Amino acid sequence: MTKEEKALKEKKLKKVSKKGLRTMQKNRNRHIIREKARVVKYGTKGFGRNIWLSTAATVVMAITLIILFVTVVASVILTNTAEMMKDKIDITIYFKPNTSAEILEDLSNTIKADPNIKSVETSTSKDEYAKFLEENASSDEIINILDDDMTKMMIDKMQATMRVKVYDVDNLDSIKQIVEEDKLFRAYTDKEKLPTYDVNRAEIATITSWARIARTGGIVLAVVFLVISILIIFSTIRMAIFSRREEIYMMKLVGADKGFIRGPFLVEAEICGIIAGVVAGVISYFGFKFISPKLINYGIDVSSINNVLDSNQLIIVFLIFILAGIVIGRVSARLAVSKYLHKT
Amino acid sequence: MILLDSVSKTYPGDTEPALDSVSLHIEPNEFVFLVGKSGAGKSTLMKMITKEESPDSGKIIIGGIDLDYVKKRHIPGYRRRLGVVFQDFKLLPRRTVYENVAFALEIAGMSGKEIRKTVPKVLELVDLLDQAKKFPHQLSGGQQQRVSIARSVARQPKILIADEPTANLDKLTTKEIIDLLKKINDFGTTILVTTHNENVVNTLQKRVITMKHGKIVDDQKNNGIYKLDESPIERPPARVVQTPGHALKTKRKLVQ
Repeated sequence: MTKEEKALKEKKLKKVSKKGLRTMQKNRNRHIIREKARVVKYGTKGFGRNIWLSTAATVVMAITLIILFVTVVASVILTNTAEMMKDKIDITIYFKPNTSAEILEDLSNTIKADPNIKSVETSTSKDEYAKFLEENASSDEIINILDDDMTKMMIDKMQATMRVKVYDVDNLDSIKQIVEEDKLFRAYTDKEKLPTYDVNRAEIATITSWARIARTGGIVLAVVFLVISILIIFSTIRMAIFSRREEIYMMKLVGADKGFIRGPFLVEAEICGIIAGVVAGVISYFGFKFISPKLINYGIDVSSINNVLDSNQLIIVFLIFILAGIVIGRVSARLAVSKYLHKT
Repeated sequence: MILLDSVSKTYPGDTEPALDSVSLHIEPNEFVFLVGKSGAGKSTLMKMITKEESPDSGKIIIGGIDLDYVKKRHIPGYRRRLGVVFQDFKLLPRRTVYENVAFALEIAGMSGKEIRKTVPKVLELVDLLDQAKKFPHQLSGGQQQRVSIARSVARQPKILIADEPTANLDKLTTKEIIDLLKKINDFGTTILVTTHNENVVNTLQKRVITMKHGKIVDDQKNNGIYKLDESPIERPPARVVQTPGHALKTKRKLVQ
């Protein structure tokens, strides 16, 4: 055979080969929808036929989803509780008895100039006395001794007050400066009873650090648990697929496309994810409802979580559970199958 | 139908080639035995045909397609054109007999209607229609191999390759399997079978290709016989099934 003949034969062979391969591709592309339906069918059947492995994967997934829920909820309620306690703290500035409402208004306007001020509430001596009466309304002993002279004497003795809430409890120097240096404040503050910001400083610092720990610790814990959860689920699914690696090899040898081999495994993992999401959602919901009264008794603020669980947003929470299960299951299965899919 | 031209392959780390300049031509509708001891290169040659391995040099043309042009993405489609039977059956353990056979058709994109029509016919061919709902572990070795054959022929491939299909089977079952392969060959399928079993080779009187150390050392076009020790042999008359028109060659020498 001459060189030209050889080249011509090679050219013809190339043409025939490429045509044959093109036909194969064409045949494959025509059946995508049918293939998807079969993938779902075999994935669903596979879930039932591998019930022990499926159950193990589902249980692990449900447990990790519950752990994730607990982490997120703990972070939220700790932050809320710390914020709630922080919100309860106010600085009380005492003024001389009988400081008038007008002067208190001026004092209030002066201190409001500080950007750290969240709110100011003033109370005259009369207001303070009214509060005293209200607080002791049930005590006949006290009410009985309060005749006119006693009332007048008490009003004359009771300090007018200003309750100040701030944004940043760590930064009170500017407020301190106003109280100590402003002329009006210097003229009316009660020199015998100092403002409470020094007294509460330790308490404020503790609560502030709690709030910070709850916020950052919650995020760190959530991330750590998320990584651990994915690793646990991934290992479980990988073990389940490891026991079926021969199947993957067989399917490849008889000419199944990668998508057709991978598909049923992904569907199985997604079914695990859906069931795990529902189970974890139900357990988390009733678990939280069971434990929340006990938490409230300890003064923990669970209102934000309860608000979500008692509203239409509950559906969204359930969907998040299911979606998280599907995504984690699918990603894990895909990674695990790929390992064996590319081997042969 | 199957053409190998100076195909060589050396596995990484090996000093000896697994295939050493192997050339081979199998015509359409032929029934060919590929024989040789372990390590002779039979499995490597089969893997070349199924595109599990690629040659270092040489050309392989299967059913008109030059395997040089079969890229990774084409491999599933290419494999669907072949029928492959394995020594260990390679059935999907979690699928029924019916589903195992249907699988071969599903991956080819056949419709449900076509599958429902084809699978019973193929199962009838291998005499397993009554076992359709069973799982592979509920069947005997011979039955499993018949399922494997049914799966490989369901798409009516032009070529069927069988790697030691009778290695795990007893004498009687071996005969059944070989008869079945013969039947499929009669329908027009080209068949290439690797085997160690001299009885299988010698009773069928087909073409026998002998491999040794990665080379083809003998190619007996008709009435091929094979003896395991590969020494020059005389055909034992009692073992040979005589057919009219076939002159029995009394002495055959295997080239060392």
